[in-house]
Formats: sequence, C-alpha cells, structure tokens
Amino acid sequence: MRNEFLLYVSGGLHTALHVLLSKAVLLLYRVFAIVALYGVLVGVFAYAVMLGVYAINTSWIAPVILAPTDQRSLDVTERLITTRNSLEDLTLEMNRQKSLLAEMKQHRAALKSLQPELEAAVVRERQHNKVAAKDLLRLNQQKRADIDKTRGLVDDVNGVEAEIQRDLAANLITKGEAAIQRAQLNQTRNAATDSQINEVLLRDSVLQKSTIGTQILDVLDKRAELESQIAQLDISIAIAGQEIATVQAQVERLNKAINLATQTPYFLAVSGEETLHFAFVPYDNRTSVWVGAPVYDCYLHVLLCRQVGTVKRIFESEEKTQNPIFRTDMRGFLIQLDLQNEESAKSKTLFLNHRPLLL
Amino acid sequence: MPVGASCLMLVIAVLVANVLKHVLAGLVKLTVSAARPRKDYSLQPSVSILLPCYNEGKTVYDTVESISRSNYPNHKFEIIAIDDYSTDDSYQWFLKSQEDFTNIRIRVSRNPQNQGKARTVCNALKQSEAEIVLSIDSDCIFHPEAIRELVACFVDPKIGAVGGAVGVRNVNDNIVTAIQTFVYYTNFRLMKVLENWTRSVICISGCMFAVRRDLFLNLEPKVRGRRWLGIEVNDGEDRFLTHQILLAGYGTVLNSSAQCWTTVPNTLPGLFKQQIRWQRSGVRDFLLTLQTLPQHVWTQHPNTIYNLVIPTLAAMSSVVVMLILMFPYSFFLFSVAPGLFLLYGAGAATFDALVRKHNPEQAVTSPLRLAAFAVWIVAGRLIEIIAMLTLDSRDWGTRAKAVALQESAQEESPSQALELDVATAAGD
Repeated sequence: MRNEFLLYVSGGLHTALHVLLSKAVLLLYRVFAIVALYGVLVGVFAYAVMLGVYAINTSWIAPVILAPTDQRSLDVTERLITTRNSLEDLTLEMNRQKSLLAEMKQHRAALKSLQPELEAAVVRERQHNKVAAKDLLRLNQQKRADIDKTRGLVDDVNGVEAEIQRDLAANLITKGEAAIQRAQLNQTRNAATDSQINEVLLRDSVLQKSTIGTQILDVLDKRAELESQIAQLDISIAIAGQEIATVQAQVERLNKAINLATQTPYFLAVSGEETLHFAFVPYDNRTSVWVGAPVYDCYLHVLLCRQVGTVKRIFESEEKTQNPIFRTDMRGFLIQLDLQNEESAKSKTLFLNHRPLLL
Repeated sequence: MPVGASCLMLVIAVLVANVLKHVLAGLVKLTVSAARPRKDYSLQPSVSILLPCYNEGKTVYDTVESISRSNYPNHKFEIIAIDDYSTDDSYQWFLKSQEDFTNIRIRVSRNPQNQGKARTVCNALKQSEAEIVLSIDSDCIFHPEAIRELVACFVDPKIGAVGGAVGVRNVNDNIVTAIQTFVYYTNFRLMKVLENWTRSVICISGCMFAVRRDLFLNLEPKVRGRRWLGIEVNDGEDRFLTHQILLAGYGTVLNSSAQCWTTVPNTLPGLFKQQIRWQRSGVRDFLLTLQTLPQHVWTQHPNTIYNLVIPTLAAMSSVVVMLILMFPYSFFLFSVAPGLFLLYGAGAATFDALVRKHNPEQAVTSPLRLAAFAVWIVAGRLIEIIAMLTLDSRDWGTRAKAVALQESAQEESPSQALELDVATAAGD
C-alpha cells in the first residue's frame, strides 16, 4: 500500500514536472517565435523598403576606400613612374635634337653668309673680265696691226742683211761690224717674234676674259657645293624640327598624362599624407553631384540621416563597380568627399543633397 | 571557402538535388513497373468513409453526391459524416444529403464542440466497423472508381494505407489556383513515385486516405492525443498517421488511378494559411522523425529514412540559409533568383505539357502560370520559416474562417495571431 502510494506520488510528481517543463519550453519557444517572426517580417519588410528606395533613388553614392596598397593605386603609381622615366628620356632626346638643330642652323648661317660674297666676287670678276676683255681685244687688234708693221720691217731687215752680206763680201765692212749689224737685225726679228707671242698670249687673255673658263667653273662648282650644303642643312634642319616637334608633342602628351594621373583618386590616395575620401557615383545619379553638395550618412541604410560632409571634387574618368545593394555591374565616376566623420567612409552608401526618406 | 559562398553552394546543391529527384522520379515512373502498386479488383472489403467537416457549407453535399455515384458496391461502404461544430449550415447539408442519396448509407452526427479535424476523424473511426476506413476531406469530389482503386491495393497484406491522386477542382479560378494545380500535380504524379517504389509514401493526403481499420484503431490514441509541448495538435494528421503506419512496419502506397478533386484556396491568404499548415505538419513530422530515428533507422527502408529526413532538413536549412544570405549577401537575390525562376519556370513548362497531355481537365489556361509557379516556389519559402515559428498553432484547417481564427488566436498563441496578420497582409 505504501509502495503504491509512493509510486502514485512519484508518478504525479513526474507528470507535474513534465507539464511544468513543457510549459517552460513552450513559453521560451513562443517568446523566441514571436521575436523571430517579427524579426523576419520586419527584416523582410525593411529589406523590401530598402530595395525599393535604392531602385528609385538617384542621389546615393558608394564610398570607396582607396588604400596605398590598393592594386589600382599601385598600378597608377607604377605607370606614373614609367611615364616619368619616358618623359625624362624624351626630354633628353629633345634637348639633344635642339642642340643639333642650333648647330646646323649656325653652320647654315655661316654657309649662307659665304654665298653673297661669292656671288659678289663672281660678279665683280665678270665685270672686270668684261672690261679687261674689251681692253685686251682692242690691244690685241692694235698688237696685230703692230705685228703686221713689224713683219714689213722684218722683210726690210732681211733686205738689210743681204746688203750687210754684200758689204762684208765687198769688204766695205768688217766682220765685226757685220756681226754687230746682224745681231741688231736678230734683235729686231726676236722683237717681232716676241710681239707675235705676246699677241697670242693677249688673244688667250681675251679669250679667258670673254668666255667661261675653268677658273670660273671652279668658282661655280664651289658655289654649287655651298648651295648643296645649305640645302642638305635645310633638310636636316627640317627633319630635326619635325623630330623635335614630335618629341615635343610626346612630351606634352606625357605631361598631360602625368598631370591627369596625378589628379586621379588612385594617385591622390597614395601621394598625400592625409586620408582622402572618395565615393562612386553611378551615371544615373550624376545629376545629384556638384562640388559643395552636402553628403548624408544614414543608419539602417536609409533612416536617421545626418550630414557628414560635402562633395569636394569630381573626377571625369569612368569607373566600373558593382551596385552595393543589387550587385549588378554599374558604370559611373568617382568623386572626392570632404568628410567630417571618418566612419562614414565605411558606410555602404551615402546620399547627396537630401535625406533619402527626408528623415 | 567563405561562409556566404558555402551557404550559397548548399542552397544550390539542394535545388539541384530537387531537380534531379524530379527527373529520376520521371524516369522511374516511365520504366519501373514496381513503382505502381499491386492491385486486385476482386478484393471488396467493407469500407467506412470518414467525412469530417467544418464550415464547408454546400460543398459537403457535392462531396457526398460524388461518393454516391461510386461504382463500388453500395452495400459494401458507408459514410460516417461528422460536423465539427460548424458555424455555417454544413450540418444541414449533411442531413439533406442523407435524405437525398438513399442509395448509400450515411451516418450523420455533430460534435458537441469544435474538436479539430484529427479528433473528428477519430470520432468517426469509433463508429466504424468496416475492414477499411477511408478518411476524406469534405471539399473533395471523388471519381466513381476511387474507392475500388484504393481498396484493390490492400491485396498486399503489408500495405497499411493507400492514398490517391488529388487534383484541383477550381483549376482556372485565378492565378492562385493555377499555382496550386502545378503543386498538386507535381506532388501526386511525380514526387511520390520514388516513395511508391519502396512502398514508403511519407505523406498520404488527408483528402483520400484509406487505411486498415484495425491498424488505425491501434494508432488512434496517438492521433487523438497528439500534442506538442502540451498543446493539442489538430493539423497534419495525415502525415502523422502515415508516419506512424510506416513505423508500425506497414507499407504505404499511392495509387494514382484513384482520383479525387479538391477545391483549393483561391485567395492568397487562403493559400498562405494552407501552406503554413502543411509546412507546420512537415516540421512537426521532422521533429518526430528525429525522436524516433534511433529506434527505426535500421528497421525502415533507406528510402523511407531518406524521405523522412533529407527533404525537410534540406528545405529548412536552405530556407534559413537563404534568409541569412539575403541580408549580407543581397546579390544572391539578384544573381541566383533569376536562375531559379528560369529553372522552375522550365519545370513548370514541362509539367504543363504533361498535364495537357495526360490530365487535360487539370490544364491551366492563365498565361502567367509558369512565371507564377516559379515565383511561388522561390518566394513561398518564407512560409517555411513562419511554419517553424508557429508550431504552437491549433488551426483546424482550410475552412477555418479568419474571424474564428482571430478569436482563437487571442486565446491561444501570439504567434498564431501573427500568422493571421501575415495571411491578411498577404491578401491585401
């Protein structure tokens, strides 16, 4: 009887404990279920609202943190160094070309300065020859006339020699006197021959003065050589000028590229000592961007927003990234932000101009 | 591998496995004769048709009328109709059917108070003396061959319960019913093929559930006393009973030649409630599976164990993972979801073609049917979460009116009230 009572009591106790435990577990389950259910529902609803907001909002931007070790920053830095090296090489080459050009120009100027002197000398010589030729021609004519006269005299001299021979034979004169007279006659003949030689020489001079001779040809050859040198220098100068222009253009392009590269956010991120803040703006939202536009950061993506800075700078180059919410590919550009709150740079999105839900 | 990627791989693996299962089931259905139950039409045991009802109105009359046209010998079956204290005129329609269909025997009674479907079925069982009991839903219309087809499968003494193929009556009411037509078709015509092969159908639909009476009587206390943390459980008695029959060592089978058609909810709140109830019973059954697994893991067919554990576990975990992924990895929604929509849209197109060829009465005409099915399959996973968190609900069934639910929700459980809010919100 006692055992049965104990069994009854223990059984009842066991049942009561079981019921109590079940109720406790049920209570815990219900609390958990209500919290979880409302959590899921609120979460899904909030998620749907958030998706809706991002689907229609055109003022959101996605902050981008560019570390110096960022691959794109490293790429830009590397490219910049390479470009600067190329620029230095090109500058050296350009300077060399310029020196060469200056030297060629100087040489050309020197040659060019010879040209008028040569021309003047030629003209002068030609004029002189012209005048001299006339004089010589006249003298030559006169000389010929003189020679003709001399030739008559020589004929007379021949008659005189015969008379000397007869006088000698007739012993009218001594041999000595005859030799002296004959020597005088030979002198006359020599003088006549000299006159003929001089006439030939004079004619030759006339020919030289009145026609183009080898001397003038030499001068002309030198003039042609001079002109050729000048022409070659002109070509070299022109080529050097073109090369310099090309190098100059390359240098300008490289300078421009360097300037652009140094203005990219990726370079700015690694070059400055201060931490700079950037954000991606999809093209669809570009109408909301201008320098000085206020930037808002929100809790829970779109709620309880506060101004955290302004737009400082707009970069033109195109960027591609993924939509932070929808994870679809997007095209857009970067802007630099002036953030008062550093933590906002870590937010998934920020908003421009106004709060997305005006909250 | 990052957590997000791992979760994503898990979800995709589950979905791919699901697709492969459908494909395998199709192949088995076409090529393996053992996937169809053994039948003997000369077998004509006595049958009690248990017809519980709650707020069905005139529909119960139509149900009884369809049964009265059965070609099973009339003297071999009876209808035991019990109204579970309906607030409408269901009971009067029962009485009218009793008067009108005198060719069959109909016993009509009424519970003194609302007890829920499971207990009403048990009450009806108590009145039965037949060899086979056929528990049906009061909104179904039965094919004249249905009873004959069902009992013919009991020729195999190892078979404890037999189910049929449930179709949709109101296929083209609207897009909501169109979605369910696809769901019903895939569930009854394809999904259970592999389970049928090993005689281990995990859930025989309560629309048409034939079971040996002796076996049911043995299990009836468990069905009647079913509680979860002390709370009476009224839904999912079909799944629970099927599970218990399997654990008792009997086989369960589905004969797709036994057909009936049910009226499915044609509003989103109705569909939402129904699906929550189904998912809830699935979760409870999974918990039961975990409890009983150690003692039954070696006695049950591996396919039974697989079907009891893996699909629900995979569905639950994938849903939780999907929810987890949705927030920190929102790209999932936009990168994977379109693929899922396409995948399930393609599946729906296949089923659509099959339905039009083999079951033209189930053909959906809505041009949005494929997209709606795909959206429902993916977006409807949220229901599984809600079901997991409303296991303390005491919902009766499809016909529980919102007002009645609201009243009982205030008395019963906050989570159930929340479920009602969600259902109402979905309807809005």
